[in-house]
Amino acid sequence: MRDFLLGLVFAIGGGVVIAVAQTYPTMPSLQYGPSLFPSLIGGGMLIGGALLALSQVRVLVARRHAPGDPGLSRYDYRGLALSLVPCALIVFYILAAETLGAGLCMLLSMWLLMLMRGARWWLALGVALVVSLIVTLLFSRYLLIPLPEGTLLPQSLAWIG
Amino acid sequence: METFVQGLAMVFNAQTLLVIVAAAVFGLFVGAIPGLTATMAVALLVPITFYMDATPAIAAIVATSAMAIFAGDIPGTYLNIPGTPASAAYVGESYRLARQGRARETLGTNLLCSVFGGLFGTLVLVFVSPSLAEVALNFSSFEYFWLALLGLSCSIFIAIGSRLKAFLSLTVGLLLSTVGLDMMSGAPRFTFGVPDLMAGVNFIPVMIGMFALNEIMLFYGSRNEARSVPAMAKDSVFRQAPATLRRYWRNMLRGSALGTLIGALPGAGADIAAWIAYALGKSRSKEKEKYGSGHIEGIVDASSANNSGISGAWVPALVFGIPGDTITAIVIGVLYMKGMNPGPTIFMNGGSQVYALFTVFFIANLMMLPLGYLAIRASKVFILTPRKMLMPVIFTFCIVGAFAINNSVTDIWIMLIIGLVAFVLARNDFPMAPAILGLVLGGTLENSFMSSMLKSGGDLLAFFERPISAALGALVILIWLLPTLIKHIRRLRRPAATTAGDER
Repeated sequence: MRDFLLGLVFAIGGGVVIAVAQTYPTMPSLQYGPSLFPSLIGGGMLIGGALLALSQVRVLVARRHAPGDPGLSRYDYRGLALSLVPCALIVFYILAAETLGAGLCMLLSMWLLMLMRGARWWLALGVALVVSLIVTLLFSRYLLIPLPEGTLLPQSLAWIG
Repeated sequence: METFVQGLAMVFNAQTLLVIVAAAVFGLFVGAIPGLTATMAVALLVPITFYMDATPAIAAIVATSAMAIFAGDIPGTYLNIPGTPASAAYVGESYRLARQGRARETLGTNLLCSVFGGLFGTLVLVFVSPSLAEVALNFSSFEYFWLALLGLSCSIFIAIGSRLKAFLSLTVGLLLSTVGLDMMSGAPRFTFGVPDLMAGVNFIPVMIGMFALNEIMLFYGSRNEARSVPAMAKDSVFRQAPATLRRYWRNMLRGSALGTLIGALPGAGADIAAWIAYALGKSRSKEKEKYGSGHIEGIVDASSANNSGISGAWVPALVFGIPGDTITAIVIGVLYMKGMNPGPTIFMNGGSQVYALFTVFFIANLMMLPLGYLAIRASKVFILTPRKMLMPVIFTFCIVGAFAINNSVTDIWIMLIIGLVAFVLARNDFPMAPAILGLVLGGTLENSFMSSMLKSGGDLLAFFERPISAALGALVILIWLLPTLIKHIRRLRRPAATTAGDER
């Protein structure tokens, strides 16, 4: 079932890529313009995706006659939601680092991630604190990368950056 | 001779040697912790190597990858969980040996085979690549077009699992490679008005997303953290090794040769090398029946093969700029950043650089011996390092690493999006190597095609007019036709047998 959907996504994506590629300028002196490769790739996605979806149709039809369908019904939604937590934390970092500062954002994210897997809260806090200090020092002092310092605690934490 | 000494001097200084040791220890940790791969170790290392000179930067990558591949055997032996995919082929064998109380002996053999394989691959790299480079000097855009296409085709046909999925994975990488200003016309493609995308999708955030963030997401989506600590073995690491190696030196040599070859094929890395070497070792063994029951011969081939594959992958990467595996795909990006553009001219212009690189390979592989020995003695540390504390730390490095390349938030977004896509694809058994190869080779493929067409005035037959180009073209077409040919031959041989499709 998932392969069927993915095949469809690829096929539709391929179609979109081809359509977008047609808007690229053609050059009068050349037979092949900037649209050639994107169109070929889009074509590959379209055909490959369609083949994948079609190959799954046969499987799905065959399975409909078989009892005990392990299709979408047993899908692990809780696991999927949990695996999206790191992504949500990255968005949080992107949005909040300018205000809170990179170090504090890292500390909070790491602490939360550790707690999620059942680490003891004080141990997790300690490790997260030490690691975020080391990372901030290493990258902004030693490698001179302008990690956002934040506007919330500029004076008190200025020694980190 | 002078360049040789210069090359040695670039390696034998305190900074480079220290970097090698530190990188080896880092590789040891990452390799020994299940779920963290050698490619991930290298991807996380790149933002730091960015701030080093060329030689220590490359030294760090070589040492990390070699060490990580060996260290993957440690949890494989004690816990039956491969530390990196490259150890997966023989964990069953080494775990059974460990349960017989021979864990250290097994790891000692693994270590010696890894060192041997690494050195073997290095020798091939040292002797083969300069002569290959002389041939490659005559190559023009026509030959590079076919080479790139050959690499991409290999990555699909060698992939384990469905070829269709490998092909779709490849299209994702190729599509990413077209983002940015078009080389010929200067027209922006797929930039969505974001100025940071004009120069193309940055390579390192993609790698971090694909190999690190993806793994982190898989970890948080899974549940089992419970890990019982096994009784640690107390046997001797090297006492049995001379006898074992004397008995199975042919396996070591065969595994190393096979591993180097498979490593050099684009898209196939240490993991596939190990699987094929294990299968070949088993089929050629005199004691086939002992395989699977804890037979030391079973780990010799594959353990040599995965480390020689790491070195072998550098041959096409250095000579043609075509990566042999996912690690060298990252390396090519690093080489460009350091101004050591891969290609045949690297052997002409940067003589001392190349010698330094070769020396680094020897040192990194030899250093595996003492460090690996210590690691075997201290295996408990790696096995007890809890992933629930480690994954958040890696998560932090992902964000900072992606940001550090260009100091740009766009790169964090790229990492996030690619990580999500890779997560969906990987969970549905799409291989990742073709996507990476597509991203690395997509530009080469398109640019060589366009400049060839500019030269020939749009005549596609020009791709078959030069002898080497024609031969490479024929090879590519042969590879495309191979699955159909094999199917027909099988059908002819077994007319009655059912023809099971090769799409899983």
